[in-house]
Amino acid sequence: MSLPAPATALLVAEAVTAGYDPDLPIVRGASLRVAPGEILAVLGPNGAGKSTFIKALAGIVPIGSGHVLLGDHDITHVAPHLRPRMGLAFVPQTENVFGTLSVTDNLKIAGDALADRTVAASRMAEMFDAFPDLAHARALQAGRLSGGQRQMLAVARALIGRPRVLMLDEPSAGLSPKLVSEVFRRLDRIRESGVAIVLVEQNVRAALALADRALVLVEGLNRHEGLARSMADDPVVAELYLGIHRRAAEALV
Amino acid sequence: MSLQFLVDGTVAGATIGLGAIGVTLTYSILRFANFAHGEFIAWGAYATLAASAAMGLLVGHATPPLGPFSFTWLTLCAAVIAMGFTGGLALGLDWLLFRRLRDKGESIIAIMASFGASMALRSLLEALFTAQPTYFTRALQIARPLGFGLRATPNQMVLVVLAGLLMIGVHLFMTRTATGRGMRAVSENPTLARVAGIDVTRVIRITWMIGGALACASGVVVGLLVQVRPFMGFDLLLPLFAAAILGGIGSVPGAVVGGFTVGLAEAAAVAFVGAQWRGAVAFAVLIAVLLVKPAGLFGRRA
Repeated sequence: MSLPAPATALLVAEAVTAGYDPDLPIVRGASLRVAPGEILAVLGPNGAGKSTFIKALAGIVPIGSGHVLLGDHDITHVAPHLRPRMGLAFVPQTENVFGTLSVTDNLKIAGDALADRTVAASRMAEMFDAFPDLAHARALQAGRLSGGQRQMLAVARALIGRPRVLMLDEPSAGLSPKLVSEVFRRLDRIRESGVAIVLVEQNVRAALALADRALVLVEGLNRHEGLARSMADDPVVAELYLGIHRRAAEALV
Repeated sequence: MSLQFLVDGTVAGATIGLGAIGVTLTYSILRFANFAHGEFIAWGAYATLAASAAMGLLVGHATPPLGPFSFTWLTLCAAVIAMGFTGGLALGLDWLLFRRLRDKGESIIAIMASFGASMALRSLLEALFTAQPTYFTRALQIARPLGFGLRATPNQMVLVVLAGLLMIGVHLFMTRTATGRGMRAVSENPTLARVAGIDVTRVIRITWMIGGALACASGVVVGLLVQVRPFMGFDLLLPLFAAAILGGIGSVPGAVVGGFTVGLAEAAAVAFVGAQWRGAVAFAVLIAVLLVKPAGLFGRRA
């Protein structure tokens, strides 16, 4: 299946191999492109390498071969801590906030990476405006937040650097359906501001409903790519790779 | 019953607390128990001696002691220089040894290597300065009454105050500055710290600098109040670890409270049970606290 490639891709990964052991790559030549204001869902069965792929793009899993481009920059081997200030933010799946630090300190850490102190302070104020729940809990240790608040804090932390690309590893994990739709509504709004979003998800239905395009990884390789809507309609794709039944897929239409 | 053990315990607690801050920070940020930390204490004391001797030669005449204290302003300047030197020594040891082992990800090997480094550093001190004890000054200090039957020398009083100020300074640094926030973040979750934009390599360097500098300060306190000898740091190692664990690994206030607890428990043991029980009592306190609070007094996870 050909890739309906966006004309102005912001983040491009080409034939990336990655894994903790160079001899046993988990990602074995996967590719993706995502454009400003676009949401790309990365789907696939368990163990397909989705999470490793996105971590490799964030710089915390070593890349063996292939290229990662952010705009005009080749960031394949750029240190992970430099990526946020280049405009690439990543929200890990679990332990994505500093539980022993206060909510404020969690956000300040992201602000510390910015060159300008006053900008950092005003961005933090913006985050507290956008996430009133966090503003009320600002002095609380982040470990005491609810699952949903924690996910919001992780997203807010990532947004402080005004990323051009936001990558999230299973933001719906461990959240109730109501909270999932709240998180996804937020992502929709972030996309509207022109941010490119890469979303690794197990919750296929919710991800396909939100995303513009989807990519199915199987055994560390691209297996299927297409518009999210048509993918949800495709019974073969749905049953083979996504583990949802035809009826559920039909319900999406 | 004499309460004099309170003074002795507070003085010992200040030296243990200064050393334990370094132990707890290395343990939580680099994730291994550095048994060479005691050597930073001894090296710091000797470096201060050497620097103050060198400065004495430069000045060319004997400097009078400061007020009621037995040391001169040269000693204080030398201590500050030596703190920088010992921080650099810790950094150098990391560059030479621990950095390579860290890349391999085996913390037990780093721990064993730190034993080796400890012996090597201590032998080097013996080679350079002999194993004989030496002194900053041989002047006798008269203890002054503090009330309640307690007595302390002017040196003891000023050094406890200076140690306290250093500890408060480190605490403020950890809680109020971007670097301190970064250190706390790395100690909790290094991977997330990198993703959040923190330069973990820089945090590690600063951790060694702070740990080394405070160890040096601890060595100067011991050196001024007791004596300077190559084993002075190694002998403090168990109390340092007891204090760090008692306070909760990763916590600066915990290391300080742990230091004073261990120091006071040891002094109480000497006063009331017998000097041979000193170490045993400190560890009984440690075990008792850990039975009730397994993560230590200020530990973050039970």
